[in-house]
Formats: sequence, structure tokens, C-alpha cells
Amino acid sequence: MSELIKKAAALLESKSVQVVIGYGKGTGNRTRTIFATQVTECENLIFDSRCVQNLAVYLTKLEIKKLGKPAIVAPVPVLRSILQLAVENQITESDLVILGITSESELIDFESFAAIETFLTTHKIEIEEKYTKTIDAIKAMPVAERFAYWVKELESCFKCYACRGACPLCYCTRCTVDDNQPQWISVASHPLGNLEWHIMRAMHLAGRCTDCEACYNACPMGIPIHLLTKSMLQDVADNFGSYGPSLDKQNTLSSFKPDDKESFIR
Amino acid sequence: MSKIGVFICHCGENISATVDVARVAEAAGQLEGVAFSTDYKYMCSDPGQTMIKQAIKENGLNGVVVGSCSPRMHEPTFRKACQEAGLNPFMCEMANLREHCSWVHDKSEATTQKAIDLVRTLVEKVKLNKPLFSIQVPVTKTALVIGGGIAGIQASLDIASAGHQVILVEKDPSIGGHMSQLSETFPTLDCSQCILTPRMVEVAQHPNIKLMTYAELEKLEGSIGNFKATIRKKAKSIDEDLCNGCGTCTTKCPTKKIPSEFNTGLGMRTAIYVPFPQAVPNKPVIDKENCSYYQKGKCKVCEKVCPTGAIRFDQEDELVELEVGAVVIATGFDIMQPSGFPEYGYGKYKDVITGLQFERLASASGPTLGEIRRPSDGKIPEKIVFVACAGSRDPAKGVPYCSKICCMYTAKHAMLYQHKVHHGKSYIFYMDIRAAGKNYEEFVRRAIVEDEVNYIRGRVSKVYEENGKLIVKGVDTLLSAKPVEIEADMVVLASAAVANPGAEALAQKMHVSYDSYNFFSEAHPKLKPVETNTAGIFLAGACQAPKDIPETVSQASGAASKVIILFSKDELSRDPLIAVVNRSPAPVFSTCVGCFMCASACPYQAIGEELITNRQGKVIKKVAKVNPGLCQGCGTCVAFCRSKSIDIQGYSNEQMCAEVIALLNHE
Repeated sequence: MSELIKKAAALLESKSVQVVIGYGKGTGNRTRTIFATQVTECENLIFDSRCVQNLAVYLTKLEIKKLGKPAIVAPVPVLRSILQLAVENQITESDLVILGITSESELIDFESFAAIETFLTTHKIEIEEKYTKTIDAIKAMPVAERFAYWVKELESCFKCYACRGACPLCYCTRCTVDDNQPQWISVASHPLGNLEWHIMRAMHLAGRCTDCEACYNACPMGIPIHLLTKSMLQDVADNFGSYGPSLDKQNTLSSFKPDDKESFIR
Repeated sequence: MSKIGVFICHCGENISATVDVARVAEAAGQLEGVAFSTDYKYMCSDPGQTMIKQAIKENGLNGVVVGSCSPRMHEPTFRKACQEAGLNPFMCEMANLREHCSWVHDKSEATTQKAIDLVRTLVEKVKLNKPLFSIQVPVTKTALVIGGGIAGIQASLDIASAGHQVILVEKDPSIGGHMSQLSETFPTLDCSQCILTPRMVEVAQHPNIKLMTYAELEKLEGSIGNFKATIRKKAKSIDEDLCNGCGTCTTKCPTKKIPSEFNTGLGMRTAIYVPFPQAVPNKPVIDKENCSYYQKGKCKVCEKVCPTGAIRFDQEDELVELEVGAVVIATGFDIMQPSGFPEYGYGKYKDVITGLQFERLASASGPTLGEIRRPSDGKIPEKIVFVACAGSRDPAKGVPYCSKICCMYTAKHAMLYQHKVHHGKSYIFYMDIRAAGKNYEEFVRRAIVEDEVNYIRGRVSKVYEENGKLIVKGVDTLLSAKPVEIEADMVVLASAAVANPGAEALAQKMHVSYDSYNFFSEAHPKLKPVETNTAGIFLAGACQAPKDIPETVSQASGAASKVIILFSKDELSRDPLIAVVNRSPAPVFSTCVGCFMCASACPYQAIGEELITNRQGKVIKKVAKVNPGLCQGCGTCVAFCRSKSIDIQGYSNEQMCAEVIALLNHE
């Protein structure tokens, strides 16, 4: 840990960055994000298995951008998000310093986004079997039953939009749900409105989601919304090859390749 | 305040037979914002249009909905009428009551109700329409013709003779295509090469035509009037400026046993070769796959014997970028190899050949110098069996369509054989004789009556070899329906004409549509036979469907005239139905977040970047920007934009939503 603190402090000291985004101790056994702007604040940086929040979400936030150039503590899920944000032209290499960190708390330097991609080839997204089983079971349901399942699951949603807030890829200045000219998605949290919102959220993440589960972790009602994005990941992989961010392949769904399977239109 | 006029057309009886048009007009009149509503027998007629113009003037209409046919048919007509009455043409919309309603439903209450719904959605849309103005784009007056067969040659010559620049790209070392392989042509039996080669030479010498042989299209960007084409000039391994076409290299090349593509494998060629003596350009290329130097690293005989030192072993493929205003696709067709029909024995018996191979045998420039001889032993066949529809009209094993040219060329083959081998006997197994064309039926008659060709209506079930003869077993299904067995010396299969193997990939490179057989699709089967669905790209010849030479030449001239029409103006006027990225008040400036997914999704490469700056010139935001000259208004970017920051003018999100809501608020 001292390595991380030392490095973060050095970055602030040398004024290479103005803020370090990392994990710190929170209330009880919880962790919280800290934004260290002073060398002394770096003391509070921690990293362990409890640190699951996806810090990449802050990189596109106006309030954080105002603090100046950031350094960001980046375990694998954050690295994936950073790479996807790069693919989507939201960050450039000179915008930030990446403090890569493995689950064993080993620090890794990344000179470029390409280096992240190379590193991630050995840390591929894998959807756990318990999820694939659940997804398969849901997909196997008759349409009416599946519809009822989701209406039931989404019943408790009260549209706090924590899932949106936690997702590093929901960085739009104006979300479609907040647009009322025209109002495509109804704002009320009734069954239809909830369905519309969650279908739209999943669709907007199709081909982009990096499976960090931040949305699920943020949901105060514990709705399994990550099943939607995971299922979408599978579908994208089945129809267009692989999943996971790639500078080379760019946006899976918006780029055409002659070897795309496209079995759904043939 | 909306003052909308609704005009319901009977379309003769096309709409009024199934839809109660008077009721549709009456219901439309009740809608909020509709100031005038009527129905009429032919809205597109002169009185109909006058009715619209008068109503606009008399009622001060600020929007028009015409409930009639598809907008593809008459949208320009009605928009023009509105414009003449002083209304912005884009304030006029069409409700498709014919293709979307009366033609697809029976007469019923529900059909009329649907017509009312269709009109209501368009009324809601028109309320949100905004006046739009045409976009002017400059035209690059150079045409790209892809394929140097007779279609490409004809199109190039016509466009060039009208005074425009043409770039003719051919993938093979010489232009000429399939026509140069043919012996004589039906129905006049004039020699194919004799009529083709002067045209080939004309292409080479035309000051307005730039010929690029051994080259293929790599990429096509842009749109009508302003395409950017990237051409891959494959390495010929010779310096074309130095080569004088003396042919020493081709005679000295030690690798001589390569089956000649031009002679359909019936003759041999060398590794450095000119496909045929009349080739244009008459300069060789090195076939790297078969050249000893490229494969084994030694030989270079051609380099030693070349008197001008023109051989360039280190030459590499070259990519050339060209600005063109229009494209003519003339890539032709291919012959289906009849290997899927083992019963005919093609590939197993040397003397079972395809129609194209027979052309080479009958051609004076062919491997036998025009004498009909068996590929196996060089003997003159005494009996030949021709099998028509060997692949065509066979949904099970071949292609379901008629290849169109086979009936005629088979009659010609039999005729040529009879002319060359007077004592010979020829038999044609056929399904039907399709000889529709000027002098075609007479030609077939002549084969039957004068040249005594035996036509047998029926199929061949089996061909096998016995004592050096090919035993053809078939059936005569006319009257007697009896089995037939012929001891033949040669069997000629009229194999199906199919799309080129590269057609699908080429279509995708150019964003033009193609059918399930990979033939390129025309924009309209009757009224737009030479246009594709992509503006500025035209079709000529057998790349669209199997065609004979006269038809190919006519279509090529048709495509050329479309190009010439396009080039007749300096600027193109385009509909302003294009995508625009929104702008909003500070501090947002635009809801676009600059993810540029739209840019990669855009099939027309029409989306670039725009930097929004403050008064001091500092960049505040980087957003997407649509190039109005390139955008085709397809809407892919709109679908991709998560924040709904892009709208198609005339089809905005607001308008679409209004239409959907109008449909859903169905009482």
C-alpha cells in the first residue's frame, strides 16, 4: 500500500497531476472514493478486495474535471472502462495518469491506452457460470412468463437513477430520459416506465458495457439489472465476435466488418 | 396555428375500390388543425394539382397532406405543386394509402380506418414540419466504370464521347471480357472479336478515357457527384512505359503449362502472358502464382530477353485515389461450373465441356484455331449432344432463374458445328426454347430446318463413357415420351450464368444492394433499370442479371446517358433531408457528447468533428458535425445517438414521436 501512497504523493508533489482519485476508508467496513488534492491526503489511500466501485465514472464528471488533471487508481474493471472511454473519445492519454493495480495490490504503469489493451488480453471479461445459467433460464421462459419476471423484478425500481450515476459509460450531458421534447421514455416509475428505462439503459450499453457491475452494486433495491447487460454482452459476442473494449475494433455495433455473422438478417 | 389541407386521391379505383375515400376525407376534416379536406379521382392529374394549388391560396394553408400512392411515386409532383402555390415544398407530406393500405387489404371497415389513421399521423407530422431548402453540391465530371467487358466498353465510349472524363478499371490484364472469348454471335453469326476489338482499340486511344487494367476497386467513399474511389493497381511486374509489346518474353518464358483462363483451360499459357493476341493493352503481366522466379527465386528469363529492360520484379501493388462524380458497375457474370451435376460427367470425361469452352473450340483464335475437335484425342466429333438448362431453371441443384442466353447460344453452337462438320449430327435436349428477341425465333428455326439440328424436348438423366463414346441417356417427352439413348462424341453443357464470385464484396464496398443470387439490384425493375438504390451508381450488363450482347450494349448506353445527364449541370440540387447535430444554450452548447459512434456507424463517411469555441477562441467542446454534401439522410446516426443529439431534417424525433402518439391515441 505504501507504494501506492508514495506514488500518488509524488505525482501531486511534482504537480504532474492536480488530483488523485482513489479508494479510502468509509463508514463501518465500507470504502469510499477520495479525491486527494494535497500530498497529505494521499495517506488515506487504501486498496483491498472491498474496493469495487468503478472510479472511471468520475473521469467524465464536470466537477472532477474542474479539479485539474487526475491520477486514477485503476484495478482491472476500471482499466476496462478507461479503455472504452478512450474508444468513445471521452479521454485522451494526456488527460490522466493511470495508477494500474492488480488484485494483489501490485502497481502497474501504463504508458498508453494500447498498453492497457495489451494487458487486458490476459484479463478477458468472463461471465461467471452462475450468471450464464440464470440468463439461459430466463431466456428459456415463454414470452409471457419472461415479461412477468421482469415486471416483477423491476417493480421495486423507483427511478433513483443510481445505476446511471454509477455507470462510467453513462456520461451524456443530457440523458434521453431527461429529454421531454419529445418524451420517448415515460418518467413515472410504473411498470411500463420502469421497463422502458431499463430496456433503454441496456440497449444504450450494448456493445459498450465492460461488465463492471457498478450499476448492480449501486442499486438500492438490489434489482438484477446486470443480467440485462451481461446477456447483451453475450449477444454481441455471438453476433459480432468478441466483447470487451478494443482500440482496434472500435465500436462493435457501429462498425461493419465483412466477416460479421449477421445471422439475424440473412 | 396550423392550417392543413388534406387531399385524398382515389387513384382511379386503386384506392377507392377498397377504401371509403369520402369518409377518409371527412374524418380528416374533423382533425384539429385541418382547414380543408377533399377527395378526388386523380390528385396527380392537372386538375387535381390545380385543386391543391387553389386550396392553398384560398384557405391560406401552411401544410399539406396528400393521401395517395407511395412518396417514391409522386412526392416530387405534389411538392412541386405546393411550391408553385407559394408553399415551401417540404411542408407537403404524403400518406401512402395505396401501397400501404388499399393494395394490401381487402375492402372493409378496418381498411378505411387504417387509411384514416395513416392520414392522421401525417397531419400530426406536418404540424411540426419546418420549411427546408435544397442543398447545392458541385459535381466532379469524371466517371468511374468498373469492368472492361462490352458493357464497360460501351458505357465508357458513350460517356467519353459526350466530352467527359472516364476511368475504366478492369481486373484482368486486358479489357474485352466474356465477349472476346466468344466465337460467333447470334442471330447474325458475325465474329465476336471482329466487332469487339475495334471498340477495344477505340477505348485505348480515346483521349477522354484512362484505362486501368489489372486493377480493382479497393474502396468507395462519398456520394453522388463527389465520390472518392481507391483503386488497387495490381503489380504487373513490368514497366508499361518501356514495354513495347514485342512478345519475346511470352515466347521465351519456360513455364508454359498453365491452363489459360481465356481459353477456359483448353489451351495453355506462360507465366508472363498476354491473355490473347488482340488484348488491349497488348502488354504482358507476370502471374506471380505460377512464375518460377516469384515461387522459387530463380529464372528471370524474361528480364534477360526483354529488349527494353521493362521487367520489374520488385514492383508492388499501387493504391490510387480518384475523385469521380458517378460510377457505372459493369462487372459482368460468371459461368457456373457444372460440377454439381455428376450425372453429366463434367470433370470426369474430358469431352463433356461447357458452352463457353465450346465457344473457344469454335473460335478462330481458340486452341484448335476454330476446328471443332475433342479435347481428349483431338478427333472431330461425329455426334454432339447439347444439354440446355444445365444448371438454370433448377431450384434443387442449380439456380431457379432462366439464364436467358443459353437457348440462343446452344442453337448457335449446333449451327456452327453443322457448318464446320457437314456430315455431323447434333442433338439439343431442351426444356423450352426461349427465343424472344429480334430475329431470334427465325434463327432457331434456321437451325432446325436448314441445319437439321435435332431438338429433343426432355432432360438428360445420365452421361457415361463406353468404348470411347459418351452414352447420353435422356427422355423425349413430346407425344411419345420415350427414353432416348445417343452415342455421342462430345457433350456440351449450357451451364448457368451466375454472378461473379466477388460481386457481394464489391456491392458492400459500394453500398449498393444486391439480390439473393448476388446480382446487383436495380432501383426499380421497370422504371429505373440502370440505376441502383445508391444515387450516382449505375448498372450496365450482366452484373444485374444474365443478358445477351444487344441488351447489354443498350443498357450500357442507358447507364452512360444517366451519367451524362448527371454531368450536364455544374451543381447538383439535393433534398435537405439530412442529419444535423443539435445546438443548445450555454453551458451545454450541444447535447452531443462527442463519442463519435455516429461517425463509425455512418455508411457515407459524412460525419466529422466540429470544435465549439468561446469568444476568445478557446475550445469548449468537441462535437460531431454532419457534412451536408455527403449525408444521405439514412438515419443510422440518429438511431445510434444515445442522447438523441442528431435529427434528420424533415424526420425529427419530435415528428416521429408525434406520428407514433397519433397512432396510439386511437379512439
